[in-house]
Amino acid sequence: MQRWYVRPLVRLIAALLLPAAVPAVITALIWALPGDPAAIICPPEVCSGTEELAKRWNLNDGPVHFFTKWTGDALSGDFGRSWRLQQGAPVAPMLIESIPNTALLVLFSFVPILLGVIGAATRVLPRAADGLLRVLGLPPSVIFALAASAVITIKYGSAAFGDEAERVKLVLGALALGLADAAMAGAVSGVRGLMESERKQRYVRFGILRGEGVLQNTLPNALPAIIGQLRARVLHLLSGAVIVEVVLQINGLGDLLWGGTLYQDFGVVIAAAFGFAVISAALLITQALVEIGVALHVRRAPKAVAS
Amino acid sequence: MHSNPHRLLSVLGLAAAALTTGASLAFFEESLPSTMNPLFAQSMVDNRVHELVMDRIYFNDPINNELVSNIVQEWSLLDSGKSIRLVLRKGVKWQDGEVLGADDICFTVKAMLDPGTPSPIAEKQRAIFAGCTVEKPDVAVVQFTKVFHNPLNRLSVHVLPEHAFGGKTAIQPDHEFSLRPVGTGPMKGSSGRRGTTFEKYKNVHHDAGIDTLSLQEGNDPLVQVKTLINNGVQGIITVPPGNRAEVSAQDDLALKSYDLRSWWFVAVNQEKPYLKDKRVRQALDLIVDRTDLRQLSIGVKPGEQNSPCEFISGPFVQSSPFYNRTVAVNARADKAKAFELLNAAGLKQEGGRWHFKNEPITMRIGMKAPLDIEAPDLLSQVGNQLSAAGFDRQEFKITTDDWNLKVLTGQASEYDLVIGKWSFGLVEDVNPLFHSRKDGRGAFNVFNFTNPQIDTLLAQYEVARTDTQAQDAYHKLHALLAQELPYLFLWKLDTKSAWRTEVRSNTITPYYYWTVFDKWRTGA
Amino acid sequence: MSRLISGLFATSCLALLVVMGMFAPEHLAQPDLSMAYASPSELPPFGADNRGRPLLEYAQQGARVVALPSMLGGLVVLFFGTLGGLLACVGSGRAQAAVQGFGEVVGALPRLVVVLVVALLLPQDMRGLTPIALTWALLAAPGAMDEAASVAGRLGGARFVEALRAHGFSRARIYLYHIVALNLRPVVVRQAIETVMQVVFLEIALSYLALSDSQPSFTHNDSVRSWADILYLGYQVILDVETGHALALGLGLVGVVALMSLSVTWAVRAR
Repeated sequence: MQRWYVRPLVRLIAALLLPAAVPAVITALIWALPGDPAAIICPPEVCSGTEELAKRWNLNDGPVHFFTKWTGDALSGDFGRSWRLQQGAPVAPMLIESIPNTALLVLFSFVPILLGVIGAATRVLPRAADGLLRVLGLPPSVIFALAASAVITIKYGSAAFGDEAERVKLVLGALALGLADAAMAGAVSGVRGLMESERKQRYVRFGILRGEGVLQNTLPNALPAIIGQLRARVLHLLSGAVIVEVVLQINGLGDLLWGGTLYQDFGVVIAAAFGFAVISAALLITQALVEIGVALHVRRAPKAVAS
Repeated sequence: MHSNPHRLLSVLGLAAAALTTGASLAFFEESLPSTMNPLFAQSMVDNRVHELVMDRIYFNDPINNELVSNIVQEWSLLDSGKSIRLVLRKGVKWQDGEVLGADDICFTVKAMLDPGTPSPIAEKQRAIFAGCTVEKPDVAVVQFTKVFHNPLNRLSVHVLPEHAFGGKTAIQPDHEFSLRPVGTGPMKGSSGRRGTTFEKYKNVHHDAGIDTLSLQEGNDPLVQVKTLINNGVQGIITVPPGNRAEVSAQDDLALKSYDLRSWWFVAVNQEKPYLKDKRVRQALDLIVDRTDLRQLSIGVKPGEQNSPCEFISGPFVQSSPFYNRTVAVNARADKAKAFELLNAAGLKQEGGRWHFKNEPITMRIGMKAPLDIEAPDLLSQVGNQLSAAGFDRQEFKITTDDWNLKVLTGQASEYDLVIGKWSFGLVEDVNPLFHSRKDGRGAFNVFNFTNPQIDTLLAQYEVARTDTQAQDAYHKLHALLAQELPYLFLWKLDTKSAWRTEVRSNTITPYYYWTVFDKWRTGA
Repeated sequence: MSRLISGLFATSCLALLVVMGMFAPEHLAQPDLSMAYASPSELPPFGADNRGRPLLEYAQQGARVVALPSMLGGLVVLFFGTLGGLLACVGSGRAQAAVQGFGEVVGALPRLVVVLVVALLLPQDMRGLTPIALTWALLAAPGAMDEAASVAGRLGGARFVEALRAHGFSRARIYLYHIVALNLRPVVVRQAIETVMQVVFLEIALSYLALSDSQPSFTHNDSVRSWADILYLGYQVILDVETGHALALGLGLVGVVALMSLSVTWAVRAR
């Protein structure tokens, strides 16, 4: 029998490992791609400096060498310069610019999901609304984003990257992300199903007979699963953010990762993957803390009743 | 009552126009520039933007085609033409306030000669330049590897500032210069994640009529056109043929020709056993119905006047002095003749499919992916025509990276046919396309085609001392290529830009686009 | 809606998807410019594209692209979700912790980028949605395992097994019937069918991104069209192009997949 603290503990350990593990895994994957960036800029058949360039970018001695050099530099705050995505641009400012944009996008898109989940858990949101949410979530996010992108480009033209347009993009992007791909509908029906099955448990009926509230009984038991579901949703949103950011041209981590991968700009990819890992670690820590809180709550000794 | 989206867009457009200050322009490019350092240019977008920021030592005036310079006052040949002495114009400044000097000219040459500069462009220049010495602060002597009959043509390289690189001639692509270059051109450029902005820099030789210029990446061509109509931007560099009618229909927009001397081809891999025989390649040339292809892909109806797409029979556009008019184009397919040729070459048709040595032939056809914007569906249509003639086929789109890394370096042997496009400036040097790959020649020979007769003709062009000699060599080359068919030559497709009519004096320079940007004006 | 009706509806959708895919033409028909943008009434049943080619062929080719890979992806998630739930009932703390730790790291990877790398890694001839769908499913599996483990945990985990053993049930019956069929089923089947839907949506997204980045398709060979092409054609209706019929078809196809997912979830819900 696993002790109650093992799961949150594993989550905490994983959260600590993530910022190093995710970039390492991504480096290994990216390394396996055919062709190399030095050869793309300077094809050996028509250019004599390929090897020198590969050496300059630490591409000459395998992924481990590259990753350790990158980590060493990153620890001293040097994330290097972009090779191809935005040739010559320092990566650190790109990362600093991207993290808040992605965080805001995911946060905004999470708000309707969270409200829907609360509504489903408390039965404030009627079951009849599920159908409507399904219909709203029908178009894939890419289509939502594509339509939003066209409208913004036509409306703002050359100002499409101005402050106002960026805000509009974030809001429309968040809507696309939060509603499309059945994100909200899935979250609502998932939590509704979970809570409904919990409500049918015998202990809940006893609780009601004792005059206690339903939520008071069901929530502590269902909360770890709900939190797990919500974290999965946020991870899904983070993943979907890549598409929305690319289509809507939002300067976020997803866009950075996508561009970096397509151009094999390893430095950019690892830095962006690091950003993703940090956000992911924060989510894990949150989930672990909630699990610990719930576990402590349900294990609290009942107060002695004076006779 | 119903709402009218056009009216809403027009109101928004007028509002945007009212907010536009006098001398600023925004335009859509095909993509963002990959670098602002001319030594690492990889695309036409790069070539264009460099022209705004940097000066080439010599360039062709787009009006009279003469070789002129903005930064050189006078020149003279030394060592019987193996060196050239350049006296620089006084008072020319870099965009950071430093003075342009002979040391910058020599730095540029030395940077290109430095093997530590990992640039294919520099590598090419190493066959032209031998060195450079500073005679006086404003006099440089550039040495060539040999005597060229058109030395000024060889000086169409962008000048780099020595001080920006700390004097280090081994220039790297990830230097900050690639992002924020310092040039002597009319505009100071700065590249961002979503666009490139240019600000006017007044100099003794440049005084642009536009204060700021904003380059943005254009995605969906239809959205680009709508945004232009709506005055969200003032120009589009390339408008695909399918979207030109909508631009033409607007009173406040004008289509402008951009002479890129681009021609399209289907390269044939003669290293494949069944394509080795010239007769098979000639049969393919007769199977391809260019008229149908043009109609289905570009939308040009048969017999349409002023077509943007003109068939060619060799590696030059029809307006080129090198084009051999005695070689006829195959506008229509001739399957009967094609089948005769295939049978004569030993191919057999069984069950409607062509076989070679009892094996059915499946053609792997590749096309550079971005070309699909200009000629939508061309890949499928070529495939359809081959399929209708009895060849099985597979279609592949090739990324720009793969194109540069594999196709242009002769390593795309997995394909039978690749569809591509070449663009040229005023110098239509096709030697790298058709010369055998050896001793640095034939750098862009797609399928490593080799033919001694053709090599001889290319050598004749290379040593030509007069235009007539060069034309003779290339006319013969044209005729021979039309027989040998390493390429099935398709067409020249006009490139058109669209600009709002309030943008005036906007002369577009062939190939480089922005060479005479100083004269551009905007506003009523 | 009864389970039976939901199940029948889901099966019909699935059959429709498979049949459409089976009869998909190898290549699109020759263009017929006189039929460009033809409406469904002019060229039944779905109308034509900008070159007069029937949208039916697009729909069929798109169905062929997604049908099998998405179902494979769903099966992988079903398997791993079930495994996660069973592990929670076996009571091996170490195995569970190890699986969970691995799952946390895998689950934290930016899925779309890993998918893109896998797509780019594939040689041209092997390009297809299947490896991408399997990768997506493997990345989604930790979430499914986690949720299934939570359900099993609420059930009582190893204590639940012990209790049923005390009632004389065999291990096979406990694990396969009581745990998987009765308790894990709603969760893992929902996760699996969501994966099926996600793979379809992923295909659409990747196809569009390839299109917009001038890349070859990541999910199918370049002579085939996917549902993304229908939706891309359809979205142009906001740019005043007469492609409303394409948008309706694209959304309709996506709707069929979403409804199939909903019906399956409904059909397997807990009693």
